[in-house]
This record gives sequence, C-alpha cells and structure tokens, in this order.
Amino acid sequence: MAVAQRDPHTGYTTTGHEWNGITELNRPVPKVIWLFLAATIIFSVIYWVLMPAWPLVETYTKGVLGVDQRSSLAENLRIAAADRASWTQQIETRNFAEIQADDSLMQIVRNTGRPLFEDNCATCHGMKGQGGHGFPRLTDDAWLWGADPATVAETIRVGINSTHNETRVSQMQAFGRDGILDRAAILDVVTYVRSLAGAEPTGDERSDSIAAAAEVFAANCAACHGESGTGNTELGAPDLTDESWIYGGDRQSVYTTVYRGRQGHMPHWEGRLSALERKLLTLFVLDLGATKQ
Amino acid sequence: MVAGLTKGERQFAIVISVVLALCGLFLAGAGHQRPLGVHGLLIAFLGIATVFVVLSGYIAPEPSEERLSSYYDDPSKAGIIIAMIWAIFAMFIGDWVAWLLAYPEMTFDAAWASFGRLRPVHTTGVIFGFGGNALIATSFHVMQRTCRARMPDQLSPWFVLLGYNLFCILAVSGYFIGVTQSKEYAEPEWYADIWLVIVWVTYFVLYLRTLARRQEPHIYVANWYYLAFILVVAVLHIVNNLAVPVSLGHAKSYSAFSGVQDAMTQWWYGHNAVAFFLTAGFLGMLYYYLPKRAERPIFSYRLSIISFWGITFLYMWAGSHHLHYTALPHWVQTLGMTFSVMLLVPSWASAGNALLTLNGAWHRVRDDATLRFMMVAAVFYGISTFEGSFLAIRPVNSLSHYTDWTVGHVHAGALGWVAFITFGSIYAVVPILWKRERMYSARLVEVHFWLALAGTLIYVFAMWNSGIIQGLMWRTYTESGTLAYSFIDSLVAMHPYYVARAIGGLLFLIGAAIGFYNIWMTVRTAREEPLEPVADRPIASDTPAGAVQPGE
Amino acid sequence: MFGFHYKLERHTIPFVLAIIFVAGIGGIVEIAPLFTIGETVEEAPDMRVYTPLELAGRNIYIREGCYACHSQMIRTLRDEVERYGPYSLAVESQYDHPMLWGSKRTGPDLARVGGKYSDAWHVAHLDDPRSVVPQSVMPAYTWLDDTQLVTEDLGQHLAAMRRVGVPYTDKMIANAAADVYGQANPDSDRASGVAERYGEETNVRAFDGEPGPVTEMDALVAYLQILGRLTDAAHEQQALEGDLR
Ligand code: HEC
Ligand code: HEC
Ligand code: HEC
Ligand code: HEM
Ligand code: HEM
Ligand SMILES: [Ca+2]
Ligand SMILES: [Ca+2]
Ligand SMILES: [Cu+2]
Repeated sequence: MAVAQRDPHTGYTTTGHEWNGITELNRPVPKVIWLFLAATIIFSVIYWVLMPAWPLVETYTKGVLGVDQRSSLAENLRIAAADRASWTQQIETRNFAEIQADDSLMQIVRNTGRPLFEDNCATCHGMKGQGGHGFPRLTDDAWLWGADPATVAETIRVGINSTHNETRVSQMQAFGRDGILDRAAILDVVTYVRSLAGAEPTGDERSDSIAAAAEVFAANCAACHGESGTGNTELGAPDLTDESWIYGGDRQSVYTTVYRGRQGHMPHWEGRLSALERKLLTLFVLDLGATKQ
Repeated sequence: MVAGLTKGERQFAIVISVVLALCGLFLAGAGHQRPLGVHGLLIAFLGIATVFVVLSGYIAPEPSEERLSSYYDDPSKAGIIIAMIWAIFAMFIGDWVAWLLAYPEMTFDAAWASFGRLRPVHTTGVIFGFGGNALIATSFHVMQRTCRARMPDQLSPWFVLLGYNLFCILAVSGYFIGVTQSKEYAEPEWYADIWLVIVWVTYFVLYLRTLARRQEPHIYVANWYYLAFILVVAVLHIVNNLAVPVSLGHAKSYSAFSGVQDAMTQWWYGHNAVAFFLTAGFLGMLYYYLPKRAERPIFSYRLSIISFWGITFLYMWAGSHHLHYTALPHWVQTLGMTFSVMLLVPSWASAGNALLTLNGAWHRVRDDATLRFMMVAAVFYGISTFEGSFLAIRPVNSLSHYTDWTVGHVHAGALGWVAFITFGSIYAVVPILWKRERMYSARLVEVHFWLALAGTLIYVFAMWNSGIIQGLMWRTYTESGTLAYSFIDSLVAMHPYYVARAIGGLLFLIGAAIGFYNIWMTVRTAREEPLEPVADRPIASDTPAGAVQPGE
Repeated sequence: MFGFHYKLERHTIPFVLAIIFVAGIGGIVEIAPLFTIGETVEEAPDMRVYTPLELAGRNIYIREGCYACHSQMIRTLRDEVERYGPYSLAVESQYDHPMLWGSKRTGPDLARVGGKYSDAWHVAHLDDPRSVVPQSVMPAYTWLDDTQLVTEDLGQHLAAMRRVGVPYTDKMIANAAADVYGQANPDSDRASGVAERYGEETNVRAFDGEPGPVTEMDALVAYLQILGRLTDAAHEQQALEGDLR
C-alpha cells in the first residue's frame, strides 16, 4: 500500500501515503489558482503604491496619491457643501418670514428638517412633535417662550435649564416639599388650576374651595403664571388655561407638579448642530404646527 | 468514564480535582459577596463533584492491557453529546435574541434576560460550546485514526474536554450575572482566561504526544489544520486577554491595551478566532470526514499545501478589515483590505479541493444526506469567504459595517459552513464511535438537512436584505443634499426581516433538535450486533514508526 | 517548494515552529508600529480621565452589554459625521481599557451622545425605552434605578487602571468613594473635590433625579453624559478641516 496507486476515476496517481484509508492525488495545482493569486497580488501591490500602506518604525509609506481617509472626507464634505450652497445660502441669508412665504424653500425645509428632527428632537418631542410626558408638544400654539421664530430659534440654540452658559432658565419651586403650602392648600389650588383649564371637578374635588384657592393662587402662583393664569413668556411659565399640559392635567400630575416643582431640561444645540441646521429646525417646528391647522 | 482510567490516573485525577476545588474555595472567599464568589463556589462544587465521581469508580478494576489495541474514544463520545447539548442551548438563545429584536417585550423583567447579556451567551455558546466541543471530540477521533495510534494516556483527553467545558460554563454563567470583559469572542474574565490557557496547553501537548506515536511518517492535512487551530488560538488568546484584575477578589479586570491599540489587538484576535477556530479547525474536520465518507482520494495534495499555508499566513493580516474608516490609521486598513483580497485564493482553493474531491462520488452526495451536509458546507465555505473578501474592500465595508449584512455574513459562515460540516461529521462519526452500522434513522438525517438548509437560506437572505437596506438608508441623501432618513426610519424598516430571521433560526433549531434525537436513539438502540470493524484499530505500538509504509 | 514541504510534514516540531513563524508575521507588523508611530494617537492636552462615578457607569455599560447594539466610533464618512458629529479620534479612547468601539449598530452610535439629552430623558429611556421612543427595540433596564452602586472598592479600580497606564493620582485613588458621592450630590460638601480633581467642566448633578444614595442609574447616566466630552480634540480637528457639515 505504500506505493503510489493510480486512481481509476481521474487517472492520477496518489502520493503513496494512506491514513486509515484516506489518500491524496498527486495532482499539480490548477493553473487558475496561480493566475488568481498573481492577480490579487498585483492588485495589492498597486494599491500599496497608491495609498498609505506599510509601516516603518516611526512613520509609514504615505502612498503616491497623497490622500488618506481624513483628507478624502474633507474633500467630500467640501463638494457636498458646494452642492448645497444654492439653497443653504438662501436659508442663511433670508429672514424667517421670507422663507416661510417661499413655498419651494419650505418644501426643502420639510424634506431636510424631518430626518434632522427625528434624529435629534423626536426622542423627546415625539416623531410628529406631539410631545410626551415631561416634554412639550410643539404642534400647538402653547409656547412657553413665545411663538416668534427668533424666540424659538434662541430656545433651540441655548436650551432651557441646559448647560449652555446663556441658557434660558425657568424654575417652579417645590411648594409642597419645601413646605411653602400645606397639603390642603395644594389640593385646593390643584382644583383651581384644573378649573382654569376648564376641567370639570372630579369626585373628591370640592368645588366650594375654589374661591379660597383663588387667593392661594394669587399669592403664590400669579407672579409667574399671571393673575388669570395665562402664563408669562418672559419666564417660560406655561399658560394654565389652555388644554395643553407638559406634565399632564389629571389631578395626580398637577399635584405632583405643585408639590415637587418643575424644572424641565431642554438641551442646547449650539455646538452640536450648525446655525443652518438650527434655523432649518426652527422653521420645521413652526411648520409642524402650521400644517396641523 | 472512571473505569477507563488506570489507578495512577485515578489518583492524579483526584489530585487535580482537589486542587481545582481549593482554587474555587479561595476565589469564593476572596470574592465573597461579589460575582467572583459565585464562580468560586461553582468551581469548588465542580471540583468536589469530580472527586466524588472518581472515588465512586475508584475500586473498579483497572482497564486491561487489551485497551491498548483499540482507540480511546470515550472522550470523543462525551464530547459529541456535550456539543449537541450546547448546540441546542445556544441556538435556542440565538433564536430568542432574534425574536427580541423583533418584539423586545418577549423577555423577563430581569437583568439576566436582557439582550446585551443574552447575545454573548449565544455567541460563546455556539462558537465555543458547540463548535469547540465538536472540534475537540473530532480531533481526538481524527488524530488517532490518521496516526493509527491510541492516545498516550486516558486522563489528559478528559482533562481537556471537561476543563474546556468548565471554561465554557464560567463564560456563559458569567454573562448572565454580569461578568464580561466586553471583548467580542473573548468576553470571559481573567480567571477563566488563565484556566483556558492551562487546558489548551494540555491539549497541545496531548496532540504532540499522539503525533509522536504515529505509524505513518507523514502528518495528514487534517492534523495540520487541527494543529494550527490549537497553536494560533493559544497565541491569540494569551495576547488579547492580557489584563490587570482589580484584585484577586474581583472578577473585573482592565485590559492591558487601550483605545486604538486595543481595537487592533481585539480584531487581530477576533478575525483570527474566525480563521483558526471557525475555519482551520473545521477544515481539519472536513479533510478527514469528507474523503472518508465519499471514499475518494483528496483532489490534490499540492493544493492542500497551498491553501494551508496561504490561510495560515494571510489570515493573520486581515483583522484590520473590522476597523475600516475608524480611528485606526489608514495604513493598517490598507493592509487589512489587500490581504483579505489575497486571502480569497487559498480559501477558494480549500473549498475547491473539497468539492472536487467529490468528483466520482456525486451519486453518494445525492443519496446520502450526511455527505450532502459536508458538500453544502464546502459550498457555504466558498460563499462566505467570497463574501468576506468582498466585505473587506473599504468602500463595500463603508456600507456593510455596523449593519445586519455582517450578521448575514457571519451566519452564512456559522450556519452554512461551521454547523453543516459539524453535523455532517457528527453523523459520520457517531455510528463509528458507538459501533453501529448506521444512524438510527436516515430519514431524520434527511429531514434535518432540509430544515437546516431552509433555515440558513431564510436567515441569510433576510440579513442580506436588511443589512443592505439599513446601510443604504443611513447614507441616502435627498436631492437637497441632506440625509433622507432618520435612524428610527431604518430601525422600523428592519422589523419584517427580523421576524423572518427568527423564523429561519427556528427551523434551524428544530433541525438540530431532531439531529440530537437521532443521535440519542442511535446511541440507545442497539438493534444489530455491535459492529467491530477490524480496520478501525491502532497499529500495534511496538511496530517501529514508518515500518508500515516501507515506501518511505 | 513541494519537495521541501514533503520533508517538513514529517517532523512535528519543525512543522509547529513553521506555523508559529508564518502566522506571527502579520500581527507583529500591524500591531507593534501602533505603539511606535507617534501620529497614531493625536495630542490632546485637555483630555481628562474618567471620574470614579463615570468609570463605574462604564463598567455597567460593559456588564449590560450595551456595546452589543451601540457603537462608539464615528467613521470618516460623510453620512456619519453629518448624523453623529465629528469623526472619532484615537485619542478619545486613549484611556478606554478596553475600547468600546463596537461592531454593530442596532441602536445609534453613542460616541457623541454626552449632552445630547437631559439626565431625566436618559432615566426615562433606560427605565422604559418605549415610553419615550415607541419604535425602540432596546431592552428596559428597570433595576438600575433601585440598585445601590457599590462604591467602596472603586479606589482599587482606579489603582488597577493606573497599573495599565491611566494617569490617576494618589489623591484620586484615595478619594474615589467620596468623589462618587460628591459627583451625584451637587449640594453636598464632597462635591467640590470632584471639580478640584477632575476639572471645573465635570458634570456634578443628581443624575438619576434623586440626590442622596448613589444608584447604578446615577453612574450609567454620568457615563453617557461624558461620552465624547473628555476632550475637545475632535471638534477642533473638524474646525481645522473647515467646518463644512
Ligand atoms: C432631552 C429632551 C429634549 C430634546 C432632545 C429636545 N428637547 Fe426641546 N424641549 C425639551 C423640554 C423638556 C422642553 C421644555 C422645557 C421646559 O419645560 O421649560 C423643550 C422645549 C422646547 C421648545 C420650546 C417650546 C416652547 O413652548 O417654547 C422648543 C422650540 C424645542 N424644545 C425644540 C426642540 C428642538 C428643535 C429639538 C431638537 C433639535 C429639541 N427641542 C430637542 C426637551 C427636549
Ligand atoms: C417661579 C415661577 C413660578 C411660580 C411661582 C409657579 N410656577 Fe408653575 N410653572 C413655572 C414654570 C417655569 C413652569 C414650567 C416648568 C417646566 O416646563 O419644566 C411651571 C409649570 C407649572 C405647571 C405644569 C404645566 C404643565 O403643562 O404641565 C403647573 C400645573 C403649574 N406650574 C402650576 C403652578 C401653581 C399652582 C403655582 C402656585 C402654587 C405655580 N405654578 C407657581 C413657574 C412658576
Ligand atoms: C437590543 C439592542 C439594544 C441594547 C442592548 C441597548 N440599546 Fe440603546 N438603543 C437601541 C435602539 C434600537 C435605540 C434607538 C431607539 C431609542 O432611542 O430607543 C437605542 C437608543 C439609545 C440611546 C439614544 C441614542 C440617541 O442618540 O438617540 C442611548 C443613550 C442608549 N440607547 C443607551 C443604551 C445603554 C446605556 C444601553 C445598555 C445599558 C443600551 N442602550 C442597550 C438598542 C439597544
Ligand atoms: C438557530 C440558529 C441561530 C440563530 C437564530 C442565531 C441568531 C443570532 C442573532 C439574533 C444574533 C445577534 C445579531 C445582532 O446583534 O443583530 C447572532 C449573532 C451571532 N451568532 Fe448566531 N444564530 C444562530 C446560530 C449561530 C451559530 C450556529 C453560530 C456559530 C457557529 C452563530 C454565531 C453567531 C455570531 C458569531 C454572532 C455575532 C455576530 C456579530 O457580532 O457580528 N450563530 N445570532
Ligand atoms: C476569506 C475569508 C473571510 C474574510 C476575508 C472575511 C471578512 C470579514 C469582514 C470584512 C467582516 C466584517 C467586519 C465588519 O465590517 O465589522 C467579517 C465579519 C465576520 N466574519 Fe468573516 N470573513 C471571512 C470568512 C469568514 C468565515 C468562514 C466565517 C465563519 C463563521 C466568518 C465569520 C465572521 C464573523 C463571526 C464576523 C463578525 C465579527 C464581528 O463580531 O463583528 N468569516 N468577516
Ligand atoms: Ca477574556
Ligand atoms: Ca460583532
Ligand atoms: Cu474578519
């Protein structure tokens, strides 16, 4: 068995070795393998010459093309910016009202703004800007800081209670936790606040206490939310008479709000999004409300 | 199992187990009230349990000298069964995490059952549990047959097999309780890593000792691959796992490398774990069971040489293709890409060598599902290596990286290649090991084959689709030159493919379960007289090496 | 060549040595120069180390396997810098033992998530991702909020990090547990030490919304909020190349 045998099927001889019945044919390597190998090696060598490739001790071969991934990216970004310039310049230079009046520009705002909004804002404000618990709805007219585009743009730039050093600041203190109002007073003012928004008193709410509560409100809340509770856009204090709630308008939620106070945190986007992107988002957000109506 | 050991080996086994139990107790004390303590107790318990197992068989008569005239197959038998248990367990977890990506609520409100902990349970379970045990079991079988020599002793194969499974258990139980290094495919912590080194060195020495006893002067190709698998995995494992533990009482360690150097080391490891664990090892399997089953000579000895050394040399350069466009310097990426392209040649040479070996045996492929498993494995090996080299090209990788395309590629390799060659080899080896004429049911092998093939195709096609869609959505631009889709858009688009993948995975899992049943029944039902093939014996060890092959 | 091999394959030890030699080259050529070529890791004088609370959070991130779904590596590709911000630099993970660049993006890249959301959002999101993002497939991590963070051994963690090359000072190591408390309790007297040791820019807040005992949620959110903000180098690099995003 040690001698090479001829395989009847292929006509080749075996190598003469046998391992528990397994033998090997002594057949040359098919030419195509050598060709294939040569081709991939030639490809590689060309590539090494052109691009950064081989390490030396303290540096490496840079390649005759003189490009690398960073320079290619910079080049791509330059080209992309130039391609976009036709419309980005208009957005950058024209004022809000002009852009809002220009249908074709607004179409671009809608197209480019949506993914931008979904990637950055929708996690808090909802995919359609509908808001969520603790995060205001952006499609209604209830603006904490006012509906003026410049105001909205500023909010986006610096955020609210954010880490930006020009941030907008708005705080409501913890009336219960800090012992400013007792439980009964809070319950009364809760009933009052809910009635401002037109909520019918529920089971255990005493409608007769509303008069007393009005005094508590005037003394403690009106400073921010105004005599009639319509809010103050100077302070970012919400209008309590509309049906729009950030933290919920049911009794429990309003109670928690008054008891623990609120300090919503809206991140700032300067430094993360470019001025152009922020302007697009401002227009997009304002448009969300507009298209809804 | 104890009955097969000599008195001396039994004593040594007790010593080892006691030492292990003491180490466990030490860790349990030092890591008291920390995850390490749990593992310490587990090690101590297993050590003590082993002492009792050995003691319970201690007085059994010693195996006779007769044993030396047969192969020592008990560890291989145990290894096959353990591999199948791991397969079912880990693929069940795989399918579970697949469903989780479609329906994230399908879990318990508990830390151990969250996706991030289950995923490494799946990957470690299939690669190391299923794949590793199958490799160890078959390597024992193959090295004895191709050397025509019995293993040199009875204890070290058991130490390797059981010690290796201790490593796997430490790994997988660790993820459940939050012990992980986070390095993909090397997640186990420092103490498990050290243990694996000990086991692995024993494995290597055992292999060398058996080779030293071989009766044929030339080492067969399958053994080249098994050797490369054992050796290179050892080197990779040691370097990539270098770390400083917080203390001897903490499971947690901090890896020696950081940032970009750590990334390169990790993917040098990760890629070559694929190359030498999931490829070289299984090529060893292929090179024995396929020609054996087909009863054909290897297509070309010289092609085997080219592909073996091509794979061994080129693979080690390719790891940086996992880091294209990252903070890894561009020059390393260039090397990773070009070597990956060259790597296609030896890879296809291996696949071709396997498929062409079937020339003259295609009628068997048609009739024999076991051989068909191996044939399909070789085809998927060709597909996944082609795909791999393609994905390694930087512009292609810019699309595929981070997406499900990679996962599709992984499973073309893992299901189509690794699992298929393993199932094929197991179906080939089980009747031999248990001395049966054939598997319990050929029809069930057939059923398994078709379930596995359908499952693989569904899985891989689903992931190709989702991966490419995902990659494209991330980089699609509106005509205004801004991104067209948000990340969430791409996430929502994945849902149908995730459902399809989970269904494909379920088919594959059912197939594996049927396979396990079939194996179990083969083991249990001795319907015919046990078969004792005369040829399946070592050549008497007093024959001088080489004497059987005077042609040398 | 084949004749040589015909001889080689008869000898186990030479064969083994041949494998080690042939397989060894690639790794050495690709890895060793990463330590010797200076420009591999950029200079960033403002780069700071993780505070003990952030490090603990990082360990939770590892423990929970967040890296299985989230990358922390923005590639040098147009769409990535437009979506996630300036591409990642090597120096940014200089103190990451191990790195967490990731290999799969089931969820978005997190390399620049620090400061992108409020603490409260992270808490809500980790507690129940679908309450804030209905389409999310991320697991809920409900237990972080009510699991007390183990802090007493964090000094040992810093010391181990120092052994692998992270410049923690003796003071940082000695004060690790106190700094953890201080960073999560802005009104406590231990808060000032954090700014002193790790810089004025360090976030000192009740990350989980509740001052007092430090929870795992505090640690994880503190870590998420520092991602991408240990150094400004990436933004500077972007400005250098002309901020065209
Ligand atoms: C981490 C959550 C979060 C993210 C992300 C977020 N916001 Fe906000 N945003 C808030 C919160 C909270 C408020 C309300 C603050 C308050 O209650 O005082 C707010 C308020 C606003 C307001 C003011 C609303 C008003 O009534 O005056 C605008 C406008 C706004 N966000 C737009 C955006 C845009 C555009 C983005 C994306 C670039 C964004 N937000 C991202 C949380 C977020
Ligand atoms: C210092 C100014 C200030 C005072 C005084 C104040 N608030 Fe507020 N209030 C705010 C601000 C600012 C917000 C919005 C906070 C946010 O969005 O995070 C707010 C929010 C609320 C909300 C939540 C609205 C929503 O949409 O969920 C309620 C209800 C409320 N205040 C009621 C009261 C009541 C009742 C009092 C008196 C007991 C009071 N506030 C006193 C500033 C104040
Ligand atoms: C099953 C995969 C998965 C795991 C595991 C996972 N996440 Fe997520 N993550 C997602 C997905 C999908 C999203 C996008 C949807 C969303 O915002 O929830 C996401 C979003 C996020 C975001 C918001 C990113 C952004 O820029 O909008 C953060 C932060 C985050 N995850 C942190 C974590 C942390 C911390 C962990 C571990 C404790 C974790 N994730 C584990 C899938 C996962
Ligand atoms: C029933 C069959 C299987 C199913 C349903 C399955 C499912 C999965 C899933 C859902 C993932 C996670 C993908 C992600 O994070 O998006 C995964 C990852 C993985 N699986 Fe499987 N799997 C199966 C079998 C196998 C087998 C047999 C192997 C190996 C032999 C394997 C190896 C892997 C590897 C290596 C990964 C990690 C991939 C990566 O990180 O890119 N799987 N599998
Ligand atoms: C010529 C052979 C091969 C080459 C060049 C190759 C190349 C690649 C590339 C480019 C990636 C993607 C890296 C990324 O973008 O993150 C990858 C991932 C992967 N491949 Fe291959 N591949 C080959 C063969 C195989 C085979 C046979 C398997 C067997 C299972 C396999 C298993 C994997 C795994 C598990 C991953 C995922 C790694 C991770 O966790 O990210 N590969 N491979
Ligand atoms: Ca490890
Ligand atoms: Ca991966
Ligand atoms: Cu690879």
